[in-house]
Amino acid sequence: MATGTSSAYPPPPPYYRLYKDYLEDPESAPEPPPPVQGTYPLFGATYTTDVVLPSLEDQGVRQLYPKGPTIDFKRELTSLNRELQLHILELADVLVERPSQYARRVEDISLIFKNLHHLLNSLRPHQARATLIHILERQIQQRKQAIEDIKRRREEAQRLLKESLQNLDGHLA
Amino acid sequence: MDIISQLQEQVNTMALLALNTFGTLQRDAPPVRLSPNYPEPATNPSSAEETLDIVEQPKMMSTALVQAAKKFDTLVAALPLSGEEAQLKRIAELQAENEVVGLELQKQLEAAEQELKQAQELFNLAADNCLNLKKPD
Repeated sequence: MATGTSSAYPPPPPYYRLYKDYLEDPESAPEPPPPVQGTYPLFGATYTTDVVLPSLEDQGVRQLYPKGPTIDFKRELTSLNRELQLHILELADVLVERPSQYARRVEDISLIFKNLHHLLNSLRPHQARATLIHILERQIQQRKQAIEDIKRRREEAQRLLKESLQNLDGHLA
Repeated sequence: MDIISQLQEQVNTMALLALNTFGTLQRDAPPVRLSPNYPEPATNPSSAEETLDIVEQPKMMSTALVQAAKKFDTLVAALPLSGEEAQLKRIAELQAENEVVGLELQKQLEAAEQELKQAQELFNLAADNCLNLKKPD
């Protein structure tokens, strides 16, 4: 058990004393700190608020598919798949003939897998935009439906009022 | 599951199949003859079932690998991809249309609430007259 001297968790920060009169006077206490921007350290590791997929070079992995502004995902994915199958066959051959040289082939196969996963991850923003489009379309449809409903009910109410008016007139006359 | 997750799952499945294939084959492979000088290893009378496995398993595992690769290809072909600018343009269009439809909806809603208030007032008048609760002026 911790003796509670240097290995215990730090005590909570002493800011709570500043909020003593908060109920009577909300202005007397300090505002909460603004949201963190950029990078911040947390338990010894640095994290970033800018959520972007790090490129393969950032992770120290060679990029097998051609770089550029637009990537033909389908073509690159199918060609990487074919490369993967070829490498698996090569590994099988190497294991039969020169078993001590497996390391290079295994490294190649893992490189292909990393590239595959990176390509799939870079498809996610596209998926997010497509989801947004779908949500907007559905919202427009729901609003149009609501407009139709309201119009119909209003007309129905008008009709009922006219009918009742005619009934009353009929009774009176 | 959405198609990108399916593709990711398929990639992981292929990796797992490759791993299992090589692992099983290496584990179950009979020893290799290195040189004609060495004596033959004492082959235990292995059961027919084992020899059948050693022959059948590579075939089954390789078919599984190839089928997984084919499924990956079909999934890739089924990807509904479109350019980024096209998507952004569509989003802008939809937002404008959403605004217009929203204004229309608000207008209709306000008109309907007005009519509801009027109807309620009329109803109150009629009820009061019927029940003779209102003092005659």
